[in-house]
Amino acid sequence: MSDALKQSLDLSMFWEYRAILLQGLIFNALVFLCAASVALSVGLGAALMRINRFWPMRWIGTLHVEVFRNAPDYIMLVWVHFVLPLLIGMLIRRRVEFHPFVSAVIALGFVYSGYFAEAFRAGIQAIPQGNLDAGRAFGMSERLILWRITLPQVVRRMLPEALNLFISMFKATTIVSLIAVPDLMYNVSMVIAQEMRPLPLYTGAALTYFLIIFLLSVGVRHFSERWRRKILA
Amino acid sequence: MSDVPSIRIADIHKSFGPLEVLRGVSFDVHRGAVVSVIGASGSGKSTLLRCVNHLEPPDSGEIYIDGEPLGSRVDARGQRKPRSLAEINAMRRELGVVFQQFNLWPHMTVLGNVIEAPIRVRKLPRKEAIAYGEECLRRVKLIDKAGEYPARLSGGQQQRAAIARALAMRPKAMLFDEATSSLDPELKDEVLGVMRELAADGTTMIVVTHEMSFAREVSDRVIFLHEGRIEEEGPPADIFGAPKSERLRQFLSKYRK
Repeated sequence: MSDALKQSLDLSMFWEYRAILLQGLIFNALVFLCAASVALSVGLGAALMRINRFWPMRWIGTLHVEVFRNAPDYIMLVWVHFVLPLLIGMLIRRRVEFHPFVSAVIALGFVYSGYFAEAFRAGIQAIPQGNLDAGRAFGMSERLILWRITLPQVVRRMLPEALNLFISMFKATTIVSLIAVPDLMYNVSMVIAQEMRPLPLYTGAALTYFLIIFLLSVGVRHFSERWRRKILA
Repeated sequence: MSDVPSIRIADIHKSFGPLEVLRGVSFDVHRGAVVSVIGASGSGKSTLLRCVNHLEPPDSGEIYIDGEPLGSRVDARGQRKPRSLAEINAMRRELGVVFQQFNLWPHMTVLGNVIEAPIRVRKLPRKEAIAYGEECLRRVKLIDKAGEYPARLSGGQQQRAAIARALAMRPKAMLFDEATSSLDPELKDEVLGVMRELAADGTTMIVVTHEMSFAREVSDRVIFLHEGRIEEEGPPADIFGAPKSERLRQFLSKYRK
């Protein structure tokens, strides 16, 4: 085995820096949680617009989906961090700057809101009309029908797809190191700059992400399948 | 007060595009009466029932529930104005609907389905809703399935659960839209049995049906729809025993072997 390979598989250095690396990982989790909340709520809003009765609303919803689904997350991140503050600054005639964390949450949240909007829309349109008729016949308002009848079923139906989206999203959180959000990858590069031994640190980071995503998704899939089965017979 | 009908259907017209489905249908349903609506497929029966609770707003005509117009109201200046959706919602809850396809909410248990509208719409305390919901499930003989999800029930059980769900709202009248049409013959009877009991208990009912024996034995009045108009109506003995119109005779002959 070559020395370089041996070195890159020796994780003792990665372990040595576990405290600072764990801090980075917590940042990943925070970016993920905040961006996921943005993606889900903005995505639901866009989905509701896409199926609205009024065409201008539908048009805005479609535009939203197309713009954000087709924007690479890296470019979105850079644009939100560097260009968007300039535009806003011009509008309100004040100097604006985004904290890297905020830029990361907005960029990832909006990119993924495009995907979630499509998942929500497909789920909502799959609910049989009769289910909604029954709600209306018993005097339920459209809002009540959305929250009590449509969404609970949509969430169950879209779980497998949502799980995949969450996984990609968690992976995408690693690019936030580019705008200096102190996540795991950012801290890894900091340690590398100090120790000049990139190989074991990159291997350690790769393994860490793999284990976290693998274990979480297996767990979530197991739990969600049992919950879904109940209603889908 | 007693001669104000529970439901008055007054000159209902409804078109879908160029297709005129209802061409002026009027009749009254008195408290405790069972009115069956029969007719060929496409005669407008189901549309009529959907118009009664404004799931399909009629193009013209009006529905009165205990004398109150459902689609419009008269304001302080004596002008007739269309009601808002919220007002229509508040009134349509007085009519319990049972659909051909059951339309139970699959993500709720049977009891969950039954107590949903009483809690969310009638604002009944949960405990009370459960107590009355269980009573309704007992009435349709389904109390042992209260905790099951609809997907695990047979069609007949699902339809009985749907009847309990409608009863739980304590409606002034029940509307049955071909409630047994999508059931296998052996499952029809358990649902028809429940409907007979409701009728015997004095429930006001409009029953759109293909079950001629049910219409004949249970209804107080039978209405025969043909191409969106009432072709003939009367007590079941006359409709089935001495049909006057040629079309009704033809229609009935298809049901006799």
